[in-house]
Amino acid sequence: MSETTPETDARRLATEARDRVRFEEDALALADQVYRVARHLVGSREEAEDLMQETYARAFRSWRSFRPGTNLRAWLLRILTNLNIDRGRRLQRTPGLEPLEEGDYFLYNRLEESNQDSADEERVVERLSQDSVVSALSAVPHDFRDVVVLVDIGDFSYADAAQILDIPIGTVMSRLHRGRRVLKQRMAEEALGAA
Amino acid sequence: MTSFADDPCARCEEVLQPFLDRELSESERALAEEHLALCSYCRRRYRFEEHLRRFVRQAVVAEPMPPELKARLAQLRTPLF
Repeated sequence: MSETTPETDARRLATEARDRVRFEEDALALADQVYRVARHLVGSREEAEDLMQETYARAFRSWRSFRPGTNLRAWLLRILTNLNIDRGRRLQRTPGLEPLEEGDYFLYNRLEESNQDSADEERVVERLSQDSVVSALSAVPHDFRDVVVLVDIGDFSYADAAQILDIPIGTVMSRLHRGRRVLKQRMAEEALGAA
Repeated sequence: MTSFADDPCARCEEVLQPFLDRELSESERALAEEHLALCSYCRRRYRFEEHLRRFVRQAVVAEPMPPELKARLAQLRTPLF
């Protein structure tokens, strides 16, 4: 049986302080990557900055609940998405689940149809503008956008995205599918004008 | 849901997203690759989607985190003493 002495207490406190410092350093090292996702989950840079500060304040307070060796970036983003939901954003309209009429080749087909030259795939993409991507992404309904941002920008797997958002993996897949479709429709509208 | 045996181009279109996300099963991936090797129609569309994903990622990551925010996050750390 272990006995608590001033020396063992001091050693325990020193170990805890060292683990906390390491955790905080690791979390801060991921801040750029977390921000990249946060910036596209919310509408403005100011909101993203507030959300980042709330996220890191909570993460530093509850660092003991992080299990070392697991995915710290996913853990931080889970806090961030929960805080974002807590802000009442989900009171907004739930996106419609009307059937998707067009297939996944839709954007290529539209761009190719409108193109007089037989350009290669890279040239077809060049018909889109970077600004149009940013505005198209911001027009994707929140529930769909969360998944698109985590997978396409955050580079998370379907399983990680499911864990971060606390939704089944099948829901990740369907929201991703719909979100990407909406994104492509908006991009087509911006590139070619409304259908 | 169609199958590669019934309508390979339709099935290839259905599995485009999980294929590029590397979330497709090994057997489905092999069937898709086999079809893509033969079908230039689908191959062009897969290549386009790859370029499109890179383009989207480059477009949206252009804005870096403000350095002042990074400094504010560092200030949230627990003081050692």
